[in-house]
Amino acid sequence: MRRAGRRAAPATLVLLGTACSGSFGMPRGATEQGADIFRLWQIFFIAAIPVAGVVYGLILWSVIRYRRRRSDDPDALGSQFRGNHRLELAYMGIPILIVIGLFAASAAVEVRVDAVSSDPDVTVNVEAFQWGWGFTYPGEGVTIVSPPSGEFVAGPQMVLPLGQTTRIVLTANDVIHAFWVPDFLYKHDAIPGRTFVFDLTPTRTGTFYGECAEFCGLNHAYMTFSVRVVPPAEFATWLVLLRAGQAAA
Amino acid sequence: MSVTLERPVAAQPEEPPRRLGPVERLTSTDHKNIGILYCVTAFGFFLVGGALAGLMRVELAEPARQVVSTQAYNTMFTIHGTVMIFLFVAPFGIGLANYLIPLQIGAPDMAFPRLNLTSYWFFAGAGLLILLSGVASTGGGAAMGWYAYTPLSEMRYSPGVGVDLWILGIALVAISNVMGGVNILTTVFLMRAPGMTMWRLPIFTWNMVVTAILGLVAFPPAVAAFALLFIDRRLGGHAFDPLGGGDPALYQHLFWFLGHPEVYILILPFFGIITEVIPVFSRKPLFGYLGLVLATIAIGALSMGVWAHHMFTTGVVNNPFFSAMSLLIAVPTGVKFFAWTGTMWKGKISFTVPMLFALGFLLNFLIGGVTGVMLASAPIDFHMNDSYFVVAHFHYTIMGGSVFAIFAGIYFWFPKMTGAMLRERLGRVVAVLLFVGFNLTFWPQFVLGLRGFPRRYVSYPPDIGFDTPNLVSTFGYFVMFAGVVLFLADVAVSLRRRVPAGDDPWGGNSLEWVTSSPPPDHNFDALRPIRSERPAFDLRHPELAP
Repeated sequence: MRRAGRRAAPATLVLLGTACSGSFGMPRGATEQGADIFRLWQIFFIAAIPVAGVVYGLILWSVIRYRRRRSDDPDALGSQFRGNHRLELAYMGIPILIVIGLFAASAAVEVRVDAVSSDPDVTVNVEAFQWGWGFTYPGEGVTIVSPPSGEFVAGPQMVLPLGQTTRIVLTANDVIHAFWVPDFLYKHDAIPGRTFVFDLTPTRTGTFYGECAEFCGLNHAYMTFSVRVVPPAEFATWLVLLRAGQAAA
Repeated sequence: MSVTLERPVAAQPEEPPRRLGPVERLTSTDHKNIGILYCVTAFGFFLVGGALAGLMRVELAEPARQVVSTQAYNTMFTIHGTVMIFLFVAPFGIGLANYLIPLQIGAPDMAFPRLNLTSYWFFAGAGLLILLSGVASTGGGAAMGWYAYTPLSEMRYSPGVGVDLWILGIALVAISNVMGGVNILTTVFLMRAPGMTMWRLPIFTWNMVVTAILGLVAFPPAVAAFALLFIDRRLGGHAFDPLGGGDPALYQHLFWFLGHPEVYILILPFFGIITEVIPVFSRKPLFGYLGLVLATIAIGALSMGVWAHHMFTTGVVNNPFFSAMSLLIAVPTGVKFFAWTGTMWKGKISFTVPMLFALGFLLNFLIGGVTGVMLASAPIDFHMNDSYFVVAHFHYTIMGGSVFAIFAGIYFWFPKMTGAMLRERLGRVVAVLLFVGFNLTFWPQFVLGLRGFPRRYVSYPPDIGFDTPNLVSTFGYFVMFAGVVLFLADVAVSLRRRVPAGDDPWGGNSLEWVTSSPPPDHNFDALRPIRSERPAFDLRHPELAP
């Protein structure tokens, strides 16, 4: 038993190490806020592994160890005890401690994710409508709007500068929608009559797929968009070119 | 009902029981008849909802849109959700409660037999209205999703008459639930046999008591919400219409104030089934009876304070509060898991079909519970909400949990209800097909959700990671489909070529096993005073009785 334990220890460490760097199926978060949520997901997932392991282990062990065998008298009874107060207190108390820990981690991350900078580098007004998106850069006087569609087309593209804080001002003018960029691990509902503000700080360049996540009627599934994150200099060029193009039109 | 010290002598029918005529079936106020009506009707709705799920799975098997129109798809997921929640799982629980509660507490019938039949007819009528709401063609069927968020469900965006039929149907279901709840509470509080104290109630009955209370608290606000929505739509109201000064978030609060207790209305009765099945086939008393009852009450109480965890991404609620409440609810649920495991510990476990389904329940529901803890964290939910991760999570609780418990219950009590056994070997195949099929269907949906596939999408672009999991999921559906077909065959064969069950084929614990199968109209001829929470066991083993 003890020797098995000694051998198991390094193996457990290796497993834990892999676990701590594992993504468990989740995108890693291409914004500062998303990376924070990603780490929280890792904490929840890693906490879930031993809990599920213990419960599954106990269930399977009981089922296998205490199965009725062919040799048993078909009327044989199991032992007739009705509980065990110490055990019962333990399995009530330990989960309470676990959820307190999880709550603390979750609440701390939420404070950081919800924090809004008073002086963002870029502001984008996002307007959701049936079934598309309008992205306006208010200081720059440029607007990008969805083409109407009932098919998958390249939706409107929002361009953001890498490493700078972008304030998103989210509104909807008809029904409820939700702005979701899976790679940012973040979505927010857009509710008509209300304005929501949140910050995104991209940490990776690339083009990220975005979609409406709150069912909004017939062509909900085709209400897609994308976000392209580029270095700040390229962002500035893009703005100038777009402004010139829109002025010409 | 008389009380003597004799072992009950229930009339033992030599021949298969007399069949009720169709009119008698539909009008008898006997609780056993109403219970069976409820269960059979609810199972019929399960087949309807399951067929809709099949069409959706076929549509999603490949990226582009192939089989149904977008409008039809939107209607299908609306009706699928409504049917499974309000017309299958919840009424099946009420049906079993109707059948079992009087038997388990030693009463001749429910407290209000005619109210009981009325609530069945409200439910059946509501079911027809809801099915109609999906096919009503003037302006299209109801296609706003089962939670009918405003303003989408307002006249301006959903002009079809389908939404109105849907609202009426749901309101009738709510009223039916309230009637059922009143009946259950009155029966349990006033009609228990001598010696059947509240602390000796079988856990299934206890769980139905808590479920009934939840229904009484949660359904009236929902009826108010649906009434206001109807007024908005048809009578020029603006309660939820932002253009008229109304508030869409108010609708969400009212709806989820029903919606979240409803989730526990969809699980507590089935926790009850599992808690009946496991001790019987482990040949042991329940481990920690008191703890289990307190856990059920705690779940009921906490479930009234978690509704806004459906609204974490709306930005209009106090996320940390609802996050904490939702995390806490994992504790009493965990208590139940340990109590079930403790019951099997040092038992003599036999793997009959009901026990196999109960084990399937344990294995599936644990995943539902663990992912529920993840979703209780608001920041994690910022990513997961309205994705297939949520879809997978709640199917692991409702389908992998409640529906597996329903099958456990059917295999367990079918002999009591009909006097005939279901086929053991066939049943094992059904259990394996459903377990494998279920996990193949819904495990890939966790992956889909993590990768960013939103729910309620009729199609998806190819090559962004959604193709393979969707295909596997559709394949899994057909494995489950085969399981359900085999199950129906099992029922048909078992009813036609009867293997008599006898009073107590399993060595049961609660009082329904001391009367004949099926029980006579008045249930019991005589009852011994009840001394513990397993009176039938005490009769078989007087040497071990307290």
